[in-house]
Amino acid sequence: MRDKTMNLRARRGVRTAIAAALAGLVLASCGVGGEPVENPKLSKGKVTITFNWWGADPRHQASFKAIKLFEKEHPNINVKPVYADWVGYWDRLATSTASGEMPDVNQFDQLYLSSYAERGALLDLSTVQKYLDTSELDPKALEAGRVGKTPYAVPVGNTTNSILINRSLFKKYGVQLPDTARWTWAEFKKAAAELNKASKGKVYGVGPTGSDSFSLNVWARQHGNQLFNSKGEVSLKPSVLASYWKAILGWIKSGAAPSGSHIIEMDGVALDQGDMINNRTGMGFIPSGQFTSFKEGAPKIDFDMADWPSDPDTPKGSQYLKPTMYWAASSSTQHPAEAALFIDFLTNDQRVAKIFGLERGIPGNPAAAKALRATLDKPGKDLMAFSDEMSHKVGDTPPITPKGASDIDAVLKRQYQRVLTGEADPDEAAKTFVGELKDSVDAAS
Amino acid sequence: MSALGEFRTLRRSRVREEAPDNKAAAIFLAPWILGLLGITLGPMIASLYLAFTDYNLLQDPKWTGLDNIQRMLHDDRLGHALQVTFTYVIVSVPLQLAFALAIALLLDRGIRGLSLYRSILYLPSLLGASVAIAILWRLIFGNEGLATKFMGLFGYDGPGWIADPDTSIYTLIILHVWTFGAPMVIFLAGLRQLPRELYEAAATDGASRFRQLRSITLPLLSPIIFFNLVLGIIGSFQSFTQAFVVSNGTGGPSDSTLFFSLYLYQEGFTSFRMGYASALAWVLLLIIGAFTALNFWASKYWVFYND
Amino acid sequence: MTDALQIKSRPGTDAQPEPASPVRPKESAARRRTRSVLKHTGLIAVCLLMLYPVLWMAASSLRPKDGIFSNFGLFVDTFNLDNYPNGWDALGTPFGTYLLNSFLVVLGSVIGNLISCSMAAYAFARLRFRSRKVAFMIMLLTIMLPIHVLIIPQYVMFAQIGWINTYLPLIVPKFLATDAFFIFLMVQFIRGIPKELDEAARIDGAGHGRIFTQIMLPLMIPALATTAIFTFLWTWNDFFSQLVFVTEPDKYTVPVALRSFLDATTTSDYGAMFAMSIVSLVPVFLVFLFGQRFLLRGIATTGGK
Repeated sequence: MRDKTMNLRARRGVRTAIAAALAGLVLASCGVGGEPVENPKLSKGKVTITFNWWGADPRHQASFKAIKLFEKEHPNINVKPVYADWVGYWDRLATSTASGEMPDVNQFDQLYLSSYAERGALLDLSTVQKYLDTSELDPKALEAGRVGKTPYAVPVGNTTNSILINRSLFKKYGVQLPDTARWTWAEFKKAAAELNKASKGKVYGVGPTGSDSFSLNVWARQHGNQLFNSKGEVSLKPSVLASYWKAILGWIKSGAAPSGSHIIEMDGVALDQGDMINNRTGMGFIPSGQFTSFKEGAPKIDFDMADWPSDPDTPKGSQYLKPTMYWAASSSTQHPAEAALFIDFLTNDQRVAKIFGLERGIPGNPAAAKALRATLDKPGKDLMAFSDEMSHKVGDTPPITPKGASDIDAVLKRQYQRVLTGEADPDEAAKTFVGELKDSVDAAS
Repeated sequence: MSALGEFRTLRRSRVREEAPDNKAAAIFLAPWILGLLGITLGPMIASLYLAFTDYNLLQDPKWTGLDNIQRMLHDDRLGHALQVTFTYVIVSVPLQLAFALAIALLLDRGIRGLSLYRSILYLPSLLGASVAIAILWRLIFGNEGLATKFMGLFGYDGPGWIADPDTSIYTLIILHVWTFGAPMVIFLAGLRQLPRELYEAAATDGASRFRQLRSITLPLLSPIIFFNLVLGIIGSFQSFTQAFVVSNGTGGPSDSTLFFSLYLYQEGFTSFRMGYASALAWVLLLIIGAFTALNFWASKYWVFYND
Repeated sequence: MTDALQIKSRPGTDAQPEPASPVRPKESAARRRTRSVLKHTGLIAVCLLMLYPVLWMAASSLRPKDGIFSNFGLFVDTFNLDNYPNGWDALGTPFGTYLLNSFLVVLGSVIGNLISCSMAAYAFARLRFRSRKVAFMIMLLTIMLPIHVLIIPQYVMFAQIGWINTYLPLIVPKFLATDAFFIFLMVQFIRGIPKELDEAARIDGAGHGRIFTQIMLPLMIPALATTAIFTFLWTWNDFFSQLVFVTEPDKYTVPVALRSFLDATTTSDYGAMFAMSIVSLVPVFLVFLFGQRFLLRGIATTGGK
């Protein structure tokens, strides 16, 4: 339709004019997907690849060590580190990728994986199988690195969702916790409300939650639903989302959870600044991989972990393994073989596992995980034990966030805040959320 | 547009006058012209082109004509962003300027320890919008914050300002006013330029200090006030970092601090709709341009130049 | 101590002890003293309000981490200086490297802005040439687009000429007068300078080059100082373009380095981050404290005519 309204020749004219104005810089020619390197082979000469990640200082230090080790083993490969904080990382990655200058090896998150993969920015890893061995990894986890049928990314570690419990607080106020191995939502809510009452409102039972897509997906799976289907479409039912928010509103009303304005205030603050670590909340929903960070942030608190509560009619296997992060290579890399070799090293080398510890998640390679376990402190061992236990309960890994939905958490938060402030009722906000998400996904495909 | 007409007549008269300084101007403006053609203009034109495309950053832009404009007409968040941004600009710019001018006048009176005061007063502008500010603002305006508790003494029992969509914008306005250092320094530099003789003459005539302020200081300072006003408006329309830091990048709660620039950043970088973001940017340019033109037009009536 | 600063900060003003300011009708000494005390009390109160965040940050840099996020007081009971050496050595390179990198970028930017913006401002304020108004309008338009839609074309451009991961994209534009803010600022200041001064010089046969360097520049010192100080501070704090254009950790500047202390999903060393924030504030504060004396100089040189 719109093509007809605009004369094709005129359009070309516009583009030529712009190109000329940019003095030879044609934006269109700088998109991603430079000529793929045919039959990638390891180079004999000196090669430099860039390795790009987000994180805080401990991760930087560990990464430097791993790079050094790799360079020692492959003297002709020079690995240049690039790092930034989470927000800066994605801004810079988008900018450099748009200019065809994506770093060779990149740390990835499932939120953005499809967005980059489907638009041709990532290297199809099956072309470099020779250098990158993923045979030791759990096939379920590997599945989460595929977009369509193509493997684009190697999961670094896996995490389930879980409930972090501040046992010190429960002890301090003399509130009895139910058996967390098989608790129901009603027991969960009751314990939370009791903690609030016993402390005379000083602390809350459940911390801010309700606006991250990971928790929402587990909730949806507990109700026989899922965020996205295998075709990359939105499959979440508004009624399921509404039930999630209604449950939270119920917690707020009973005193189990803090007020809506408190939740808004604390929602999305950095882990260090949150209520859990500052001894203000008895229980919170976290990706279990963060357990050691909590322990490290507040060593005096007796933290414990538990699976989500469930009811008799809750389907089994609603928990799932979510990759904490991935390794992915750029499709425009000039050194696919070396990039693959480096990813292989990061994934399978036991020394790397020991250097990284649990900071990037429990290693997916079982041998590496085993080597790591021996070197861990108590919180680390606890986390691995919990993870072992959960690995028997998890269900299939759901499809990853499709392209066009990379802003899902932001959209979710916006509607959730409308619910919390009373601007919208849960049903209406849930419908709006699903509608917005669908539009966004449709527009991108 | 009347401004355009003005340029036309102006150009004609210049041509007739033979514009005597053309050559010197070419030399003095050489760096600027080079910068304009070599650095500034290219990216601007590219973004104008992208405004008419569907561009997801990673694939080639697709020409879509006026689609982005059409989309704006049905974009509720855009309306919201406009409303938030206008409120912010209209309230915070005059407030900040008045505050900066008042302190500058106070500091200009040959006071002891002037440079120390001035440096201290500038400090907030150095911190501008760092992580520390984000944490502090919550400690002050949060539910259990200092300001909230203080207001509690006077019977306020609402939530902290940060979490309430009706009040969260105030915390950003306060942050803006609080960083009044930049206009203050410019005012001070301007005050230094005023000829002292005029004041002496006025004092001899027995003019009160208020009279001196009104009929000497303000008129003579008007070019600087005008400068601060124009750039204050241009700057606050593009405000980004404060809202980003305080709201954690969301513009929340419920979009109540969704500045225009924050919205277009989210569209461009989080949602990969850079074509739409570019279109938004050009709409913003038109709005700012209109305000600036209005300012220049009005300046004829109150700004006093020596030349 | 403040007196010493005060005297030092006004060199050459002996001939004219009071800078231009409203002359007040005669007051009794007692009234003047009360007034002065009141004024200082008020100013000190405002200063405390302004200083509070910085003091809080300094206090936080001395606290153990679990005390930072719930404590808005300034009192420190555990005086722990560890954060400073820890922060200094924490990232890939000692923090001094980042300070030095920032200095390089800032120095280039300040020099560039001073030269290029003053030249352009002179042309806009004093020269009559074709399309002056249109050119002025275009200049203002160039600062009306948000950086977020310009950054990608800019990156493409700089990548083509191989400038990524150098400081050139940060410095070269300053030499080409792309900061319209300062051009406009200087234009306003020049227009405040009596035209008779340069007309007299012209009658004496001085060309524009001489008028600019020998008459305008000395008279513009307050505006030049303002430009230098602002360029310094804003470049020192600029995060986005420094993050995007400079990718190699050894070349990172202070704002980028400070951010790499933090990650929202794990525990981060906030104490070290605050300590280094304070460290990086020190040069800025000093530059401002001592640089601003030039703000006061203008009148001393124009005065006494």
